[in-house]
Amino acid sequence: MRLVLLGMSHWTAPVEIRERLQLACGEGGPAPAELLGIPEVREGLILSTCNRVEVLARVADGETAVERLKTFIYRQGNLDAAELARCLYVHRDRDAVRHLFRVAASLDSLVMGEPQILGQVKEAYRRAADHRTTGVLLNRLVHHAFRAAKRVRTETGIAGNAVSVSYAAVELAKKIFGGLHGKTILLIGAGEMSELAARHLLRQGVGRILIANRTIARAEAMAAEFQGTAVPFDRFPETLPEVDIVIASTGAPGYVVTPEMVSAALRRRRNRLLFLIDIAVPRDIDPAAGEIDNVFLYNIDHLQEVVDTNRETRRAEAEKAEGIVAEEVAAFEAWFNALAVVPTIVALRGKMEGIVRGELEKSAHWLAGFSEEERARIEGIVDAVVNKILHDPITGLKEESLEKDELPYVAAVRRLFRL
Amino acid sequence: MTGIILFKTALIVYFAAACIYGVSLWGKRVFPARLAAGLLFAALAVHTLSFVARWFPAGEPTVIGLYDALSIFAWVMAAVYLLLQVKTKTRVLGAFISPVVCLLMVVASIGLGGNVSAPPMLRGFLVTVHVILSVAGEALFAVASCAGLMYLIQDGLIRGKRSGKLSRFLPSLGDLDRINHLCLLWGVPLLTLGGLAGSFWARIVWGSHWQWDPKQTWTLLAWACYAFLLHQRLAIGWRGRTAARWSLAVFVILLVLLMAAMPFFGTLHRFV
Repeated sequence: MRLVLLGMSHWTAPVEIRERLQLACGEGGPAPAELLGIPEVREGLILSTCNRVEVLARVADGETAVERLKTFIYRQGNLDAAELARCLYVHRDRDAVRHLFRVAASLDSLVMGEPQILGQVKEAYRRAADHRTTGVLLNRLVHHAFRAAKRVRTETGIAGNAVSVSYAAVELAKKIFGGLHGKTILLIGAGEMSELAARHLLRQGVGRILIANRTIARAEAMAAEFQGTAVPFDRFPETLPEVDIVIASTGAPGYVVTPEMVSAALRRRRNRLLFLIDIAVPRDIDPAAGEIDNVFLYNIDHLQEVVDTNRETRRAEAEKAEGIVAEEVAAFEAWFNALAVVPTIVALRGKMEGIVRGELEKSAHWLAGFSEEERARIEGIVDAVVNKILHDPITGLKEESLEKDELPYVAAVRRLFRL
Repeated sequence: MTGIILFKTALIVYFAAACIYGVSLWGKRVFPARLAAGLLFAALAVHTLSFVARWFPAGEPTVIGLYDALSIFAWVMAAVYLLLQVKTKTRVLGAFISPVVCLLMVVASIGLGGNVSAPPMLRGFLVTVHVILSVAGEALFAVASCAGLMYLIQDGLIRGKRSGKLSRFLPSLGDLDRINHLCLLWGVPLLTLGGLAGSFWARIVWGSHWQWDPKQTWTLLAWACYAFLLHQRLAIGWRGRTAARWSLAVFVILLVLLMAAMPFFGTLHRFV
């Protein structure tokens, strides 16, 4: 196949090395067209994300090309060869195909199943296509990778569940309220964690955000950023009847939210559902508040547990996904092998036909003695003999293309028949 | 004749939908539920045609038999559910609704091909209105109780911090509660109007508005329960778990009472 893939990812390279390469290979970096400057490279594509930099190429001569591609990467990142050698992986042919499929399907990602990577592969492909550095093989290969990724996405639950605490909170909120449009959230304590959760919630369409913090300046700063409202810390219980989601993350040593506060608020809000998220340690919300009807209380451990089970599920789903990738790799190989075999068969048939025509022409004088009908019969017999002789080799070639990695028959036929 | 064939077709398609919903519930995958919703819609369309085919020859809607009442019950349940599914994203609720619809259709099919012409006393516009509105109201309560059951399951899962695959698959609490709200909001007035229509008709044919026969009493009880639930919901804010619990409990109790009282239903007001 003569396909090589060189690169480094978060699995093999520390961030200091990755970022140097990434800067060089990102949007402003070298055009994929520069790859074609390497004499052995026939088609090429550069994938650069925050977690990986990879070069995929179809080459004429495997080993020389790999060396030259290594030099190319080395030059881009301004890295020395020893450093590079430690971090770089090289995949060839089938392994390269499998690696690309796994990357596109987000099986190789730091957070397995994260959805951005497919978009990044698409973007890399678009750049390569813009520079016309892809040909038959890479076009087909990349589209096949998209297909594999799509299958993994739809047929497994790999991307189906939250694997971060703040996102787990968002998913729970959705399970409780349905849509989050028009809902109001209250942040008690304006820490980093609550800010992250708030950001996630706002992206899901949460309508209003109230922020109560002991230092009012901090609350006001955050309110300005989120277009929310700052609330004096000791007045937050008054807002409970109008909020739907509470995220508590103060540094207070005791409970800040009491069951009495919550039940009073619930009466005033006519039992509309209330979701309390306690991400503070020590806890801010009295666990007894979670016993109240229509109130749901999750603390940091509960959320972490959700995340852990989800990770477990993802791992199980990943096995299914690997199976799909294997299937797709096999499907791609079948296509590729058929591609190599077809021209050989065509050439073989062409050669035979040429010989037959040539011989018939040589005997044209002698053949003229026969009637039209007899001539047709003689030609028919010769054609039949040729077809019968070719039948087994051609069937063998076709079968071989689906079964074997190497194609010794193709090579043998080409040599034997001087095609 | 066409009516019967259409009815049977509808029954088969309802059954197929219920099976696929079952698969969806079993595998906790949404895709089959999507397919099942399509089938449910097709079944509803065929079912509607079966009414047309049955009523058209008679020249007027005839809704006097158990067959018709149950058939309308099933129709309203399926229709209401499909409407709600458009409004809220509660695809999976169909897995609870469709088996009930199927069961109703099977029971209804026992009376299949039965008497199409009602005795003269049970003919007339008011009787039709009475039956359709009452049955529609009760069907809405049935939907509310299915949603209530699902609410309690989901509530238990979230509360118990077991938000696994099943919880992700079931509809959200907010949507299920909204269904409870809508069903009560529409069911109570429908049943009220249905009861009034029946009562006016009773005045005309029996000479009195009220007879205290078991079925009337049962319906009155059902009406009172749901009117109470609706009142509590609107006035005091019985939402979420309380509303779900009560809707389910009231429905089950009424169903048991109905079964128990069935043999005592008088000749006057029974299903022909």
